[in-house]
Amino acid sequence: MLETRNLDKSFGAVHVTRNVSLKLERGERRVILGPNGAGKTTLFNLLVGELTPNSGSVLLAGEDVTALPVAKRARRGLSRSYQKNTLFDGLTVEENLGLAAAIHTGAGTRLWGDSLATPEVREIVAEVAEQVRLMPYLHAKVSEVSYGVRRQFEVGVALATRPLVLLMDEPTSGVGPEMAKGFHDLLNDLPRDLTLLIIEHDMDLAFDVADTITVLNYGEVVFDGLPEEARGSTLLKEIYLGSWEDA
Amino acid sequence: MFQHTALRYTALILLAVGAFTQAVTAGYFGLEILTEILLLAMLVLALDMVAGFGGMVSLCHGALMGVGAYAYAILTTKAGIAPPVALGGAIAITGAAAWVIGAIGARSHGIYFIMATLAFGQMAYSYVFEAPFFGGDDGMGGIPRIDLSLLGIDLNDSRSFALFCLVLLGATYGAAVLILRSGLGRSLTGVMHNEQRMRALGLTVWRVKADVFGLSGMIAGFAGALSAQHVMYISPGLLGWTVSGEALVVVILGGLGTLVGPMIGAAAFVILKHEVSNVTSYWHLVVGVLLIAVVMSRANGIFGWIEARWGARLERRLSDLTRKTDAEEITTDA
Repeated sequence: MLETRNLDKSFGAVHVTRNVSLKLERGERRVILGPNGAGKTTLFNLLVGELTPNSGSVLLAGEDVTALPVAKRARRGLSRSYQKNTLFDGLTVEENLGLAAAIHTGAGTRLWGDSLATPEVREIVAEVAEQVRLMPYLHAKVSEVSYGVRRQFEVGVALATRPLVLLMDEPTSGVGPEMAKGFHDLLNDLPRDLTLLIIEHDMDLAFDVADTITVLNYGEVVFDGLPEEARGSTLLKEIYLGSWEDA
Repeated sequence: MFQHTALRYTALILLAVGAFTQAVTAGYFGLEILTEILLLAMLVLALDMVAGFGGMVSLCHGALMGVGAYAYAILTTKAGIAPPVALGGAIAITGAAAWVIGAIGARSHGIYFIMATLAFGQMAYSYVFEAPFFGGDDGMGGIPRIDLSLLGIDLNDSRSFALFCLVLLGATYGAAVLILRSGLGRSLTGVMHNEQRMRALGLTVWRVKADVFGLSGMIAGFAGALSAQHVMYISPGLLGWTVSGEALVVVILGGLGTLVGPMIGAAAFVILKHEVSNVTSYWHLVVGVLLIAVVMSRANGIFGWIEARWGARLERRLSDLTRKTDAEEITTDA
């Protein structure tokens, strides 16, 4: 479903992504681990087109999308949530989800009619609100809901475009343990045919949700395998998991 | 996103009643001032659509108004096209010009967008000023008004023309509301809030900006074509950046992003200009002081201040009233 071939990116002398090749099958849930500065978010930016690679390619559903701009990749089914909330604060939860859904259905560029009132958009909004447990907050403004709810909501906005592949950049960043547990359930309840690529520091979530784990270090893939293999990897303990094992 | 509130409806009704009363009772000079207000209100509606709901602060809307005026003048006086058709043509030409400006400027933001629009506006001004075809510095005269004699309306009469402009302003306001409530308008508001996110959701951002800028340009062109009919003479000054600057001042003075506010701003600006200029020729100083006071007060213009002071109170009263009426109905039913 999503593949990278020898993806490489440098900022001047700093080599942030080194020859990264990944292949995600349809419905696969992969978690990317790695210490701070390992190039995880840069990889996401390369995948969605917010950054252009120096070399290498990105394939979505078998099609080379490397040259496509961000919006076109999104319309082909590649959606992402951000590490920091990028919601539309002055709008309600419903309006936020509706904006995203309207882009997906094409109602977002129509001159006639309220895009939020179309049956397709309303259906998507209701479905996504249910998926990310936002029904009680539907009419609240973003600024009125808690930080944890906003993190769920951030994922919801990305889901409202009905993606084939959803990239989530630290979805549980900054939320408490109880809320994080809710996130595990939320992610596990997402449709099984949706491909997920998740950057995460929460090890419990990583091992709970992931089918496969990729570890980046200094922009390079140093591990690619099953969660149980990751648990036993000495290399991982050295570069990343040591602190988790000790804890 | 644009929403009507009880206060906004109240303000609209008061504006409409005030303008209508003025249109039927005022003398010649009062009617001229009213028409000036109505045409400026139309221009600032166009500007508020892009600046208040899309973050595209334009300094070329005066020039777009000028393009509409010149297009109408040329189509009627030089091409001999019937005024109603020429009006449609002028709107289409201005819309196309604005779409191109919007498409080119869409990739720039903030001060760079302002400078880009200023440059486009000044290019249009310089060209019209120099080109003999447009009458150069002398401008163009003999511009006809639309003939509505079949309906028994003589638009050469100041009162009829003012009423005609009032009806058209109402229609334009309705169109602006429909645009802002449409999918396109909502997407534009999303772009203003977070352009990167809208792009990541799959929106072709430049296209949305260009489309709404084009529609806004059509309204500015409409105002220009009516302005040409009002004075029956046009000059390159209509395209100058000071017209765009004044329109921006009026939008900020009235209340950016409210649609109603800029129309109040237009009335306040024109009345202030005429009243103060009766006393002193330094009327710009008075407007300047007022603008500084509005900006320093941190209220969103005159209407923003009114909304902050009375909006919530009025909504509360209306909601209490609704509750009371519902309770009475329940008691009656019982």
